Amino acid sequence: MSEPAIATDGLTRRFGDLIAVENVNLQVAPGQFFGFLGPNGAGKSTTIKMLTGLLAPTSGHIRILETDMASNPVDVKRQIGVVPEGMALFGRLTGSEYLNFVGRMYGLDPATSAKRTGELLEFMQLVDQPKTLITDYSHGMQKKLALAAAVIHGPRILFLDEPFEGVDAVASNTLKAMLQNMISRGATIFLTSHVLEIVERLCSHVAIIHKGHLVAQGSLEELRAGVESQAPAMQGQKLTLEEIFLRIVGGTRSVERELSWLE
Amino acid sequence: MAGVNGDPSIRGQFAAIALVRWQLFLNSMRSIRGRLEIVSRIFMGVGFTVFGFGGACVLGAAAWYLVSHDQIEALAILLWAIFIFWQLFPVMAHALAENIDSSYLLRFPLSYRAFFLIRMAYGSLEPATLIGLLWVFGMTIGIAFASFGLFLWAAPVLLIFAAFNILFARMIFTWIERWLARRKTREILGLLFFVFIIGMQFIGPAVNYLTHNRNPQIGQFATLALPVERVLPPGLAAGSLVSAAAGQWPLAAGRLALLAGYSAIAFWLLNLRLRAYYFGEDLSESAARVAKPAVKEKVRAGWTVPLASPATSAVLQKEIRYILRSGPMLYTLVMPVVILVIFRFSVGQTRHNGGSFLSRSGELAFPVGAAYAVLILANLLYNSFGADNGGIQLFYLSPARFREIMLGKNLAHALLLAIEMVLVFVAASFLYQPPTPVLFFATILAVVFGLFTNLIAGNLLSIFTPKKIDIGAFGRQRASTVTAFASLGVQAVTIGLATVTVLVARSMHMLWIAIPIFAALAAIAAAAYVLVLSRIDGMAIGQRESLIDALCRS
Repeated sequence: MSEPAIATDGLTRRFGDLIAVENVNLQVAPGQFFGFLGPNGAGKSTTIKMLTGLLAPTSGHIRILETDMASNPVDVKRQIGVVPEGMALFGRLTGSEYLNFVGRMYGLDPATSAKRTGELLEFMQLVDQPKTLITDYSHGMQKKLALAAAVIHGPRILFLDEPFEGVDAVASNTLKAMLQNMISRGATIFLTSHVLEIVERLCSHVAIIHKGHLVAQGSLEELRAGVESQAPAMQGQKLTLEEIFLRIVGGTRSVERELSWLE
Repeated sequence: MAGVNGDPSIRGQFAAIALVRWQLFLNSMRSIRGRLEIVSRIFMGVGFTVFGFGGACVLGAAAWYLVSHDQIEALAILLWAIFIFWQLFPVMAHALAENIDSSYLLRFPLSYRAFFLIRMAYGSLEPATLIGLLWVFGMTIGIAFASFGLFLWAAPVLLIFAAFNILFARMIFTWIERWLARRKTREILGLLFFVFIIGMQFIGPAVNYLTHNRNPQIGQFATLALPVERVLPPGLAAGSLVSAAAGQWPLAAGRLALLAGYSAIAFWLLNLRLRAYYFGEDLSESAARVAKPAVKEKVRAGWTVPLASPATSAVLQKEIRYILRSGPMLYTLVMPVVILVIFRFSVGQTRHNGGSFLSRSGELAFPVGAAYAVLILANLLYNSFGADNGGIQLFYLSPARFREIMLGKNLAHALLLAIEMVLVFVAASFLYQPPTPVLFFATILAVVFGLFTNLIAGNLLSIFTPKKIDIGAFGRQRASTVTAFASLGVQAVTIGLATVTVLVARSMHMLWIAIPIFAALAAIAAAAYVLVLSRIDGMAIGQRESLIDALCRS
């Protein structure tokens, strides 16, 4: 078996007394479209921040494409692209200035950076607003721009934190097409999303984090089989990812019982 | 609705907001930076308190003197001073005021009356209002000591005058808030504000010029201006007191009624704005966005700076773009030249005292302008990530090292200073006289020393006490108070050291000695800069969580 594209060993992060992520051991094979799921506050963003170098782990190791993150962060960063939670945009640049800037930050020569900028703007349908500052973009346009910036240097792994949040159906379709295209060319994608239908449609493998602990990891079929072995689905029906997720994290509480005053 | 008993009371909502503000204050003290910020604010608070009470005593004594000596009409001067301070201070010292965003209140079942009162109460809790109230109170006490009879009339007059000032200041603020909500109007307002500030600088020289040229038009102007002054709020308040003292009660009452009328107009305009806001007026950029015709852009290649890495070149270009798009920043950069122009025509330019300092020592115009240029540049250096906001994450995600990023920013700032130095040299030579070669080189070396010293302190403070700012808008560029104090200290040391060196060397007729002194200081500062820059990666990594948190916070 080939070396995993992303591997963590005992990954832990504490914030004072709070343990946000504890002893997480992830394995993501090259070329996988990997969905990282969890309820709010489960530790998804903390984990993705540690994997991309935005946050230092309290303990544990991260290896990205066989390179240790702690000892060679620059080598790792050259090979990954990231759309972080806040999108990392510079509001007072135009879209093309920003992409060009990001290309140079990743070490592209000026001509290549400019060429790719033009192509990405066209692909993302952002060419109509050449003089508009990013601060005046709509949320969806900013998301598309952030994704364009994350791929300008041709990364081998793409980390996406909630890439479809606040994006309309048209833009979402463009993003999905691009991501599928990257997977078909051998890239690895690691994404977090609350939209489980999208994850189910795009991802081949999934991990679920709950209260800082990795509670499930594997292909969708493996997860389904694991859950169904404990409580089978109705005859002739397959469990959806949402049902698998809810069964694993135990999210089927009786609202009526707890909020009796809510009419 | 289960558990909800009638409409929520205004008192309860006031209390809830007071509590949440108190909790925000307590929570801000969880970090060391937050605690330092509080300490700095305490110092500022002490300063304001002294200023407020000191001013109240002075105004009280002045009011007592004027009333006791039957010069009641001169109270207008005091009232005008209070009015101008009350209205201008919040604009000039926006960095010291805490303006709360009340948009979050609109989601709650708040009546318009409650919304209006809450906006008024919390919006008025700013230094200008508190100091203005203290001063009016001081004047009232002064009048009471001088004449108890007049005090009985002065108390309501000054109360209405204070109410007018509060309403007027709030009214102006809410309208400015509307214009600031959109980038384009914000930048136009910024330009107007800049012109206003520059215009203010020229009042002194203009008055001085007119006074010393005995222009007969001044008398005509005063004749025209005085009746206008008398129908404006401070003039009306003073006029009402004059009439009351003279026993002309109908006139006194009429003037008081006019003053109340001004307050009512201010209230009406304020109400107009707040009602629109309350009933859902959308001031955001997205509301103003309109579809533009599609124009395909030709993407140009980025800059390549010789000997610099691609990341450094990219950051340099990005910084220059940011500065060029920041109206307020650009305006402040021309200030050193403006200052030289002001000094050229400034107070003291008379035959009696031999002219101003610079007109007597014209060769010092270049070092003075240069020192001011370094001072102005500090605006950019001490919070150099502040305008990047969420973009800071990119610096941590990219493979570029922080020393490359910082170097790009520092090169942009050094380039700006170089341009400013050329402008200052031209202005100083044209308006005064060119500096001697010795003074020229001494100044350049002193500027290099000042630049490196400021870059060292600026780079460290940018990493350790960052604050999110909007460089495109006036009033949104406040660095942390800790940074402001630290910057002040560095400026005092560097500019003080340079000034003392030049003046001592000049008085000993050994100006040349300043050259080796500044060369040595510049070399030491440059070495220290390189040392700090070489360690900046480790510091930036150590501070990444607090830096990202401070700049990405919404």
